[in-house]
Amino acid sequence: MGIPRVKIAIVGSGPAGLSAAARAAELGIPHLLLEAEAHLSHTIHRYQKGKQVMAEPAQLPLRSTAPFAAGKREAILQAWNDSARKLGIQVRYGAAVSAIRASSDGFALDTTSGETVEAERVVLAIGLQGNLRKLGCEGEDLDLAQYQLDDPEAYRDEAIVVVGAGDAAIENALALAAHNRVSIVNRRDEFDRAKKGNSEAILKAIAEGRIQHLSNATVAWLRQDAPGQGRLCLDTAEGKAEIACNRVIARLGATPPRAFVESCGVNFPSRDANAVPAVSARYESNVPGLYIIGALAGYPLIKQAMNQGYEVVEYIEGRSPEPADALLLAAKFRVMPGYQSVEAGIARIRERIPVLAPLTSLQLREFLLDSEVHQVQPGALIFRHNDYSDSFYSVLDGGVQIQVDEAESGRQIALGSGQFFGEMSLISGRRRSATVHAGPAGAVLIETPRGSMNKLIASVAAVRRVLDETFLLRAIQAKLAPGLDAAALRELVASASLARYAAGELLFREGDPGDCLHLIRKGSVTVARELAGREVVLAYVPAGQYVGEMALLTEQPRAATVKAAVATETIRLEASAFKALLSRHPQLRQRINDTFGQRLVANSAVDSQGGGGVVQFLMNQGLGEATDVLLIDEGLCVRCDHCEKACADTHGGVSRLDRETGPTYEQLHVPTSCRHCEHPHCMKDCPPDAIHRAPGGEVYITDACIGCGNCERNCPYGVIQMGVTSPAQPSLWRWLLLGGKEPGAAPGSADKGAAKKAVKCDMCKDLSGGPACVRACPTGAAVRVSPDQFLQISRGTDE
Amino acid sequence: MSASGGDPVHQSFLAHAQFRWAKLALALCLLSLVAYLWHQPVDGANGGTWLGYTLGGIGAALILCLLWLGVRKRQYRSRLGTVKGWTSAHVYLGLSLLLIVSLHCGFQFGLNIHTLAYVLMVLVIGSGLWGLIAYDRLPGRITRLHGGGNREAWIEEVLDLNEQAIGLANALSPEVHSRIVASADKLQLGGGLRAQLFGPRRKQGGDGLRESLEKRIAQLRSGPSRGAATAPGEQNTVMFMAGQLRQTAGGEQEAAGIQKLLDLLAHRNELVARINQDVALHARLQLWLLLHVPLSLALLAALVAHVFSVFFYW
Ligand SMILES: Cc1cc2nc3c(=O)[nH]c(=O)nc-3n(C[C@H](O)[C@H](O)[C@H](O)COP(=O)(O)OP(=O)(O)OC[C@H]3O[C@@H](n4cnc5c(N)ncnc54)[C@H](O)[C@@H]3O)c2cc1C
Ligand code: HEM
Ligand code: HEM
Ligand code: SF4
Ligand code: SF4
Repeated sequence: MGIPRVKIAIVGSGPAGLSAAARAAELGIPHLLLEAEAHLSHTIHRYQKGKQVMAEPAQLPLRSTAPFAAGKREAILQAWNDSARKLGIQVRYGAAVSAIRASSDGFALDTTSGETVEAERVVLAIGLQGNLRKLGCEGEDLDLAQYQLDDPEAYRDEAIVVVGAGDAAIENALALAAHNRVSIVNRRDEFDRAKKGNSEAILKAIAEGRIQHLSNATVAWLRQDAPGQGRLCLDTAEGKAEIACNRVIARLGATPPRAFVESCGVNFPSRDANAVPAVSARYESNVPGLYIIGALAGYPLIKQAMNQGYEVVEYIEGRSPEPADALLLAAKFRVMPGYQSVEAGIARIRERIPVLAPLTSLQLREFLLDSEVHQVQPGALIFRHNDYSDSFYSVLDGGVQIQVDEAESGRQIALGSGQFFGEMSLISGRRRSATVHAGPAGAVLIETPRGSMNKLIASVAAVRRVLDETFLLRAIQAKLAPGLDAAALRELVASASLARYAAGELLFREGDPGDCLHLIRKGSVTVARELAGREVVLAYVPAGQYVGEMALLTEQPRAATVKAAVATETIRLEASAFKALLSRHPQLRQRINDTFGQRLVANSAVDSQGGGGVVQFLMNQGLGEATDVLLIDEGLCVRCDHCEKACADTHGGVSRLDRETGPTYEQLHVPTSCRHCEHPHCMKDCPPDAIHRAPGGEVYITDACIGCGNCERNCPYGVIQMGVTSPAQPSLWRWLLLGGKEPGAAPGSADKGAAKKAVKCDMCKDLSGGPACVRACPTGAAVRVSPDQFLQISRGTDE
Repeated sequence: MSASGGDPVHQSFLAHAQFRWAKLALALCLLSLVAYLWHQPVDGANGGTWLGYTLGGIGAALILCLLWLGVRKRQYRSRLGTVKGWTSAHVYLGLSLLLIVSLHCGFQFGLNIHTLAYVLMVLVIGSGLWGLIAYDRLPGRITRLHGGGNREAWIEEVLDLNEQAIGLANALSPEVHSRIVASADKLQLGGGLRAQLFGPRRKQGGDGLRESLEKRIAQLRSGPSRGAATAPGEQNTVMFMAGQLRQTAGGEQEAAGIQKLLDLLAHRNELVARINQDVALHARLQLWLLLHVPLSLALLAALVAHVFSVFFYW
């Protein structure tokens, strides 16, 4: 028998691949669906049992031969299986494609089962989940080794070795330790890659002897002696060590599919881990005949993936249906003056706005789907100085007036068609640094949310470069040298470079020569000095401010040590260029001198009050990246828990704060509650982009949440839960008169079948007057403040 | 309040809005006092004069406002001031009642429903003061007791120690084992109000268990030397040494096991004591409310009766 040959080979049977195969089967096109696992749609298969799958975005119509509607995971998988059988989809299970080679008349696909398939066209729909990383040594495929743990309760009295030091490994080890003898193999001796709660829990379990820690060890081999009986050999600093075990659970993360995709000849636009391959409006990659759809193409939701599966087959067949999302785009474009068609609208945007020109059609489409087009009246306010919004604006028509400094109202900058603004808050994660109004002729603006913009920056190097350069100039103008134009700053800008620091890394040390100035672009730093042999933190400097000017002004070595409090990016300006600028502009020198003077006073105040410990404590709690945090004075807190009850009562019966947990320093307690981070980690990987920041700074989750749990995992502070809110709350008067449930009590029997969604603090943005927890505290123990405020006040400079 | 922290971001309800309510209450008191001294009715000051009615009315209105705190405290969506502001007003206006109502009745007390209302009011105010003192003293003590830990973690640790203790005991002897299990079962954390406040009635940590275990250690540790005293002849020395070693090792092992068990139990009992102390402190933070609230409701009833009686039977 020769090599099987089909017209379309589809790799991956997720919603995208399945939908493509369904359309091909319906049209009678010879096709083959290759799936690595033994069942369809492994990603959905892996969702938690009974998960409510959501069909976002709601407005997007489904266009697919396979069915899909919101519902339980089981029902959806069942419907897909039925549909695959009825349509006669040709599926090859257990066929992981390991190589795709282009040939003169199409492609040859090799699978790990040793088979080769030939196809005219290939549709790559392998999603983003990647392959679970294996042990990478002898024995990695034994039954003894497993790479997933569905139910820790299923094992009793076994000797189990967990390999890995991330959150998954720790959570598994802790759960298994209840009924088994568990060891955890860690390549290092710390668990600092894991969330704080997890690393504390595992260290405690190790200290108490519930889990054995095999640190600084790697796995050399695994051998099976009898079924369920084996030996694991470890490489350690002291040599090899063998341990007997019944089971090895390795949680080593997944390898992103990128390497495989690149090996097929597909280009990625940048090295950034978030970059997606560039494809044409017809989903064709740079390899002709190789199409990419679904999550791998940057579309993270099921419905989008299914629509693309249908469309890609249409395109391959030479038809060109209007993409299903055209409806959505048309609705957005309608406000554009002289709107004709979606195609014309996209073309106009591409030609008008240079920063968007390097995008592929598909990227631009996605960008516009996420964006809003606004027609703004002349003089209308777009955002205000100190607003907390972080979307990005491009000017399509008309223009805007930017007023950088409230005080110097004379200083206005006009931007016209093709330019953009809003990049400062996007990059720094801080409040708006200027007020923006529409110009005298009004404006047509494209507003893009932070998430899509960050994805774009990661995917298109040209966009990143333009934004970085613009940010640099505007930041220097705003923070260091107001009133100077680009020409006056040329030398300084040319000397600038971008520096990145991990949390805890030093920018410079006390006593170092002063060779540069850092303008903090993102993150924050602490300034500390050695006093009586102890490091005392004097100040916290957030993004938007600069550090390191002291040494440049005084020509002395560094007077303090500056350390990144969280992951931080700075613009490093060379001393020589900076000094040259100062000598040319004495008023600038004066300004910087003033700040310098204020800082000296502030620092000595901290010295004398011994306030450094609090600053250090707060920084250790990650407050260096917070914008607003709940702080409880335990000397005032009477433990009545009205803060929690208020939160529950105003938020569907689920409190988003846990008063009791969290660390305490002297009397200052940091409860488990959202800090509304400058760059919220929770936003990082939200498929429907449901996490946003309101103008007041509140990071909140919209109803679009699909309950995937990514944000819960990504938040390092453990403040997101998956929960079911109930619309009706206990009535106060019923309780007062008849008893029963007190307001703020958990609603108990919430609808069991209801979909779990992510819930977190929204700082009561929809209630006037501020957060309910603070307003409900009878004693004044609970306050919400921004760290700037708190630390400045505790430094005594803000009175 | 002593513990308003080192930072001016936190401010006690007593100092709310620069003592706005303290000042207001003081002004109200002064005003009432001046009116009282100035007003000289023919038949002496009492509730029946126009000033009496006025002060009585103010007093009753204040009492209703104070009672409303119980409602406002739970209206979590209310935008009518903050609960902190309400509590501040509550405390100062509540204290001012003492003077205002005394002036209202012109210090005319008797064995009647009117004086019952008065007495109830004084009791409510007294319990309120008690609460104030509790709110001032106890939070700091709880924080110090916690010292970075928290009750949930302690409880978990106690359960864990129990399990470890049972494991150790299992290796020692069935008798020790059953006693440890019994002592673990008998452990009591918190309980009813009495137990919360004064700790569980039963002695924790196994009655006489420690003594008998300590005795056993002493026995084991002295055992081998007794053996040495009966040393047999030369030729058996090697055998004997080996036997004694075995015996010593066995005995020492058991002694060490018991010692470990004892240390573990001591640690557990210390934790249990700490948990019960924590429970007691928390209970004491709320205890006064068990007087304050029912007495307020009784006051409300007596007040209604009082007003009713003066209007209809006077
Ligand atoms: C926990 C969770 C919950 C979610 N909930 C929702 C929701 O409620 N609603 C929603 O719209 N979206 C949800 N999503 C997102 C949704 O799962 C993805 O958008 C969707 O699965 C993407 O489809 P896809 O076909 O592109 O890729 P995938 O679904 O990831 O499918 C890829 C398939 O390819 C196979 N494969 C991979 N490599 C190979 C290879 N080399 N050879 C052969 N086969 C291969 C895999 O086994 C898999 O079956 C959720 C995601 C997660 C993680
Ligand atoms: C609506 C508010 C009130 C009105 C109209 C009112 C009216 C009166 C009147 C008319 C008297 C005189 C009765 C007499 O001399 O026999 C009186 C006395 C008295 N009232 Fe009030 N009163 C009010 C509120 C209060 C309150 C709030 C208290 C205290 C809790 C109080 C406690 C007393 C006392 C102790 C007396 C003295 C009784 C006596 O004379 O033996 N009253 N009140
Ligand atoms: C006649 C006067 C008073 C009445 C009728 C009254 C009534 C009440 C009521 C109904 C509550 C609500 C309790 C709850 O629902 O949890 C309360 C709470 C309280 N009262 Fe009073 N009270 C009076 C006077 C005082 C005084 C004089 C003080 C202090 C000196 C005081 C201190 C407090 C405090 C501290 C609280 C608790 C607040 C909180 O924790 O929310 N009260 N009172
Ligand atoms: S509402 Fe205030 S006093 Fe009550 S528990 Fe919360 S912080 Fe403590
Ligand atoms: S949920 Fe977590 S990551 Fe998101 S803003 Fe709050 S604290 Fe930061």
